[in-house]
Amino acid sequence: MNEIFASYKRTIIVSAVLLLILVLELLNWRTAVYGGLFPLFEWLQRSTWLGYVATNYGSIYALVQAIHLLSMALLGGTILLMDLRLLNLSLKTMPVDVVVENAYRWFRFGLMGAVVSGIFLAAGVAEKVYYLPVFWAKMLALLGGSLFVIFFKIPLLRKAGTNSVWLIRVVAITSLMVWFTVAATGRWIGFVG
Amino acid sequence: MINELLLNFAEWLGSQDYSQMLLSGYYSYNWVEATHVLALMVSLGMLFIIDLRMLGLILPEMPASALAARLNRPMWIGFTIMIVTGLLLFYAKPVESTQSLWFRFKMILLVAAAANAFFFHRHLKEAEGKWDNERKAPKPLRNGAILSLSLWSLVVFMGRCIPYDWVDCDKTSNRTILWAAGCVYELQALETAESPLEESARLAVASVRESGSEQ
Repeated sequence: MNEIFASYKRTIIVSAVLLLILVLELLNWRTAVYGGLFPLFEWLQRSTWLGYVATNYGSIYALVQAIHLLSMALLGGTILLMDLRLLNLSLKTMPVDVVVENAYRWFRFGLMGAVVSGIFLAAGVAEKVYYLPVFWAKMLALLGGSLFVIFFKIPLLRKAGTNSVWLIRVVAITSLMVWFTVAATGRWIGFVG
Repeated sequence: MINELLLNFAEWLGSQDYSQMLLSGYYSYNWVEATHVLALMVSLGMLFIIDLRMLGLILPEMPASALAARLNRPMWIGFTIMIVTGLLLFYAKPVESTQSLWFRFKMILLVAAAANAFFFHRHLKEAEGKWDNERKAPKPLRNGAILSLSLWSLVVFMGRCIPYDWVDCDKTSNRTILWAAGCVYELQALETAESPLEESARLAVASVRESGSEQ
């Protein structure tokens, strides 16, 4: 029994998480949480200095937007570097683990920069984005993408032993698609907002 | 003089059917804009990695010239998308862009970044094979990398400022800003209003017209 659990640990965890999401969805959990989140957004925009600066100082807001975009460029660049290597499309002569570790280090800087600047940007328009479905689509994609990279992709690549070539390819393509979705939905917030 | 020429060209572009079509379509304009911004991840993403390698901060295990050569292609794919979508964005809003101070700064910075890239590549060629196994690049290349990171960050900042109207032609009466932003009509209006000679001429014309209408 323990052996079965050990060799299928990842599969079991992923299935359990999916099952949990399904159950919570059937219990209308999402609607309840969504309603309860509005005070948080209101507080962020009206009662914090973040919200104050973001709503009143347009030039600082623009500067942070630029930082957000530069972090996105770094994040996207490192994801691309990693996944192009995994798909055997670039840097073919470099060992996979060296490319992955180097890219992952800077990926974390990019992600941190994007999240910190993103909280400031959201604070300035919190009450508006709360009602935008595309904002929540981005948050879900961001959460999914981060969990996927930190708890699935990197541990999988670090694991000793050879992984199936197809698994690696699927992982690389999934990561490219998820982060593209994060960036694209993020840009769309500006259009519909 | 140059401001008038640029404005004439922009007005001619803006009067074309395709320019107005591109701008009026909600999806057409936003898709082009989104593509322009998302391509940052490919163009600047690859550029940042090359620059960081020169500073010895990423992939020090890999020969820098080889990394630069490999990432050159995805980087140029990204920059090609940026140039094409950037031209389309200009085509959709030629007058606003021509008269935007931020857009003008951005173009100047782009020229500076291109010049820096040119010298960077010359240094890269000169130093080829001499330092491949070292962690950091020689000094000229490191300086070029720092300059490249700074210039491109400023390009992104200026680009992000373009949609804001802080210094639009109708928001300021500062002559230097009006001239720098190419606000031809606003400058003309200021001069007309402030020149006593013009003012008296205008009054004279008005009185002639008035007396004409009486007859």
